[in-house]
Amino acid sequence: MTNPNPEIRIPRFDAYERVMHWMAALSFFYATLTGLALWSPKLYWMATMMGGGYHIRGSHPWVGVGFAVVMGVMARRWANGMRLDADDRIWLTRMHKYATHDHAALPPSGRFNAGQKMLFWAQLATTLALFVSGFVLWFPEWMPRSLRLLSIAAHPLAAIGSITSILVHVYMGTAAVPHSMRAMLRGYVLPEWARFHHPKWYKAWRASHHV
Amino acid sequence: MIVAKLIDTTLCIGCKACEVACQEWNDQEYTMGTFDGSYQTKPELEANFWNLIKFNEVEKDGATSWLMSKYQCMHCADAGCLAACPAPGAIVPLANGTIDFVHENCIGCGYCITGCPFDVPRLNATTKKAYKCTLCSDRTAVGLEPACIKTCPTNCLTFGERDELLRMAETRTGELKADGFADAGIYNPQGVGGTNVLYVLKHASEPEQYGLPKDPVIPWTVSLWKGPMKWMGTLMFWGTVLGAFFHFVIYGPQDPEKHGHPEEPSDKS
Amino acid sequence: MTNGWTDVANADVVLVMGGNPAENHPVGFRFVLEAKRLRKAKIVCIDPRFTRTAAVSDLYVPIRSGTDIAFLGGLIHYAVSNNKYQRKYVELNTNASFLIAEGFGFSEGHFSGWKDGKYDKATWQYELDGQGYAKVDPTLEHPRCVFQLMKTHYSRYTPEVVANICGCTAEEFVKAAEMITIAAAADKSGTVLYALGWTHHSFAVQLIHAAAMVQLLMGNIGMPGGGVNAQRGHANIQGSTDMGAWNTLPGYLKIPRANHENLADYLKANTPKALRPNSLNYLGNTPKFMTSLLKAYYGPHATKANDFGYDWLPKVEEGADHSWGTFFDQMHAGKMDGLISFGMNPVANGPNTPKMIRALSNLKWLIVAENFETETAAFWRAKELADKEYPQSLKADDIQTEVFLLPAACFAEKDGAFVNSSRWLQWKEAAVDPPGDARRDQDIISDLFHAVQDLYAKEGGARPEPLMNMQWNYAKPQRPLLGEVAREVNGVDLETGKQLNGFGELKDDGSTACGNWIYSGSWTEAGNQMSRRGQGDPTGLGLYPQWAWSWPANRRILYNRASTDSAGKPWDETRAPLRWNGKRWTGDTPDYKADAPPETMAPFIMLPEGVARLFAPDLVEGPFPEHYEPAESPVDNSLHPTVNANPLLRTYNSDMDHFGTAKDFPFVAITYRLTEHFHYWTKHTSSSSELQSNFFVEIPEELAKEKGIANKTLVRVSSARGKIEGPALVTKRLRTLKVSGKKVYQIGLPIHWGFVGKVHGPLINNLTPSAYDPNCGTPEYKGFLVNVEKIG
Repeated sequence: MTNPNPEIRIPRFDAYERVMHWMAALSFFYATLTGLALWSPKLYWMATMMGGGYHIRGSHPWVGVGFAVVMGVMARRWANGMRLDADDRIWLTRMHKYATHDHAALPPSGRFNAGQKMLFWAQLATTLALFVSGFVLWFPEWMPRSLRLLSIAAHPLAAIGSITSILVHVYMGTAAVPHSMRAMLRGYVLPEWARFHHPKWYKAWRASHHV
Repeated sequence: MIVAKLIDTTLCIGCKACEVACQEWNDQEYTMGTFDGSYQTKPELEANFWNLIKFNEVEKDGATSWLMSKYQCMHCADAGCLAACPAPGAIVPLANGTIDFVHENCIGCGYCITGCPFDVPRLNATTKKAYKCTLCSDRTAVGLEPACIKTCPTNCLTFGERDELLRMAETRTGELKADGFADAGIYNPQGVGGTNVLYVLKHASEPEQYGLPKDPVIPWTVSLWKGPMKWMGTLMFWGTVLGAFFHFVIYGPQDPEKHGHPEEPSDKS
Repeated sequence: MTNGWTDVANADVVLVMGGNPAENHPVGFRFVLEAKRLRKAKIVCIDPRFTRTAAVSDLYVPIRSGTDIAFLGGLIHYAVSNNKYQRKYVELNTNASFLIAEGFGFSEGHFSGWKDGKYDKATWQYELDGQGYAKVDPTLEHPRCVFQLMKTHYSRYTPEVVANICGCTAEEFVKAAEMITIAAAADKSGTVLYALGWTHHSFAVQLIHAAAMVQLLMGNIGMPGGGVNAQRGHANIQGSTDMGAWNTLPGYLKIPRANHENLADYLKANTPKALRPNSLNYLGNTPKFMTSLLKAYYGPHATKANDFGYDWLPKVEEGADHSWGTFFDQMHAGKMDGLISFGMNPVANGPNTPKMIRALSNLKWLIVAENFETETAAFWRAKELADKEYPQSLKADDIQTEVFLLPAACFAEKDGAFVNSSRWLQWKEAAVDPPGDARRDQDIISDLFHAVQDLYAKEGGARPEPLMNMQWNYAKPQRPLLGEVAREVNGVDLETGKQLNGFGELKDDGSTACGNWIYSGSWTEAGNQMSRRGQGDPTGLGLYPQWAWSWPANRRILYNRASTDSAGKPWDETRAPLRWNGKRWTGDTPDYKADAPPETMAPFIMLPEGVARLFAPDLVEGPFPEHYEPAESPVDNSLHPTVNANPLLRTYNSDMDHFGTAKDFPFVAITYRLTEHFHYWTKHTSSSSELQSNFFVEIPEELAKEKGIANKTLVRVSSARGKIEGPALVTKRLRTLKVSGKKVYQIGLPIHWGFVGKVHGPLINNLTPSAYDPNCGTPEYKGFLVNVEKIG
């Protein structure tokens, strides 16, 4: 047999990771919609849809805090595996090859490829920025004016970065890479998928399972 | 017609009658303060205290002076609170130049506090809504002057048509200059498009002595957020969405069948 | 006020000294600022503290508390020696030309006649001619004329001496003197605004006399924009003074003394005789005022046969004193049974609070009629509420005084007239009914009166006549209306039953009744003049003669005849309250006979001299004001170190009357009021309490540095009487003064707090001494010694 056995299911994300991810996704979604409603008067209709500006002003920061906490939990779980190795660095310089599906030109990836790792770090950074600036904006009475002024620009700026990268993430997880959603919904991938997208991880899995 | 308040600081005696009138007319709850080392009623404006006389002891060239000036919303032509406010209809510029807060529309985010270059609005701790001087819009609407103006015993405060008040202020400045105050002038900062609260100052080049900011402008971060960043965000959003879409249209999904990796360790068992 | 608030706008110079109108009279202060804006008037502020008034003044000069006479004496010296006084005015309108008896003089701190702690005033008298008139020298050259004596007396008050006493620099003094004496020009006028900063001294009356002298030298008395103007502290304190005190009957008629056995004796002693042939001596009419007053008191019971009931008036022992300090001292000594306190809060108001509290503990009963529970009504709780400040006070269980607190209506809940500083009687209506059980003062008094009268009727008692013969002629005797009382006060012609038009119609034969002669004309047949609100201003000087009614005779500027020269020509054509049109005086109500040509009589018709007194022999400690140190002073009197304080200073000798020295208490303390509060009342109201919730101690920056006291640090201020604690307000506005070569610091202590009310704080009078002015009995609340320690 030249092809991996399609009957084999390789576990990719355990239940803990999946729950965390979707909690992050939902809270992010809510914070984004409410944030966008307050970002521009043109989008304020969304506030009305979600219970009115006064209500979403109250909920947005709490949901934001929830998002940040979940992000923290995920970071604890994944941070080690998100370090870039030598292959990743080469991968990053050849990212355009990835976009154009020239996989032959790319070094092999581990459990996460360099793009996913960069997304992780980008999300972590923007979350931190959103959390800190958001906290400042939450309590304007108690915060020094200089910090508030900084935050009033930093918060939307970080949000723009975060939303943009999440858009890419959503595209990659759905249309661009078929079957990846299965990993986050059901927790496993098929060997062929693993071999193709994450060869080093697949190899390690094989080695440990003496397939 | 744009209306305004003129505060002739040379006639202010710090009697605080305007503070009480403001509290009374607006049915504010009185709160007893703690001592702050000054004659000032409160260190700063509060959600239920919209009109504060600032007391500043200034020592210059060996001479002591005690400058008093009324502090409240400046009703800017180009209002920073309005620029920063995310809730449509919460801050309303009236036709007469008043910047009015409509509390049923206020969402309590406090951005107006940050947007205001004069640091005027305040959040009520329980309702989390922002409050400030309304220029007594409920009085001016029926042809009355604001409560503070009505009560001022020394004619330090005048209410009326803005252009007329500017002329009065110029006359008064002229008088002061003739009396030897070469630095006398009008405080009507252009950085916020001029204000509908005008001051006559003896030391116009140093408004800080009176507790007034020297060159107030809408903070650049607020302008950045409300201007370029809005465009940038929109561009980036649609750029990414469209980019992804066309990427898919051009390249389609990644397919191990088509895009197999040559160095891939295949399962040769 | 000789003039009035609206008239201040006519001034060219406004001397604010011993007062702080921007803070304590902010509404009246608009006229000061009007003078400044529209007339380019100069405002000169002389005060121990840089106040809110100083903040808008053209010149501020700091002085040590209690050195005002030195400053004013310096002004007199400056004016006379630099020829900056209005010579013609002084010749015409003052007793400068009067000759004084041989032997008058001043040396070593005493005027002539000082013996055994008392003055024999024989040498202080005018030299009279055979007809009993004072001799004069119109050239003012005679060595014994008042002008020369005054010049000699004040020759010691050079700018350097003034600076050395007051603590300012000689340059500052001269600068102030130059500005103030602008008013010496005939066509310029200057006003003097003062208040408690002058009256709260043990030489207060002399101080105000000194101000009057300055104003006379400047030719400012009787002039629009001139005068000596007392800013009264309560809405109706002027009215309360006008209606009498322990030593005066209404209209400033003197209280009968024990040796005035009948009306004739009384009138003989209290009716002045003209001292110059051209003196109208209006007070020669005193018998008419007194008889009409007795008729108002006793109605038909007062007859010529019974001396109009003169016997029924209380008489005071000759030389006895029943002023504030004395009766509290007697109370403290256990010599009084009861006290009725109406609209008064002695525990908070009086000096030496510990003594006040202990004195009340010695009463059998105390009635307090008030809007709130005051410290006086709650004195028996001092131990419980403020033991830290009043450790000497007794426990409630050990106090036998029975206290009745009667809830009384406040000013807005009753009608009646307020008499303001301008002497205007302004009638007001009640805005609302009194809340709850609160009752109007007149109802409380009426019920008390009837209850006591009934007791006398039933049980009898000593001397029932004053009570039983009192006229109580009201439609509803139990509930007299203030309008009815006001009509009685105005006076009525008993033959026609018609209201009088003024005191000119009063008679001494019992055919008129009048409750207060100076108010006669306030409620005539034409109606209540006090409720008029006409805004006409015929003179253009802002006198508004149709607004309310001003005593006396609706005259807006007292002594206004002095605003013209001997021929009746105004000193300043642009500011003429009076003009002689050949037949009559027009303008303000003339302080003169309305149809008397200008040359026929002297201008000051209320004085027997016919002119104003630079030399005032009726004051107890000397005819000229002299600088004496306060009862407690950080330095010796540099003019006469052996006679430091007022030689006739009134003090008491109870075991609670202590005085300190600069060794233990090195700093000068001043008490004062803040614009945010009204006395000890507004700590009961939310709005004022919000404006200034906390007591604080103002400390000069330099002293704070020396003692390591930062702003807001808790400090303890102590005097020989007691101690208080509060946070420091460190300020540049209290300047370090140099007095007799020594650094002197002044500590600022705002009053207004106490142990009851919405906000609490120490009673400042815990520190103040029982030292009193010998003329009027006002306590020395300003300029006493304290120590300051950092405790926070």
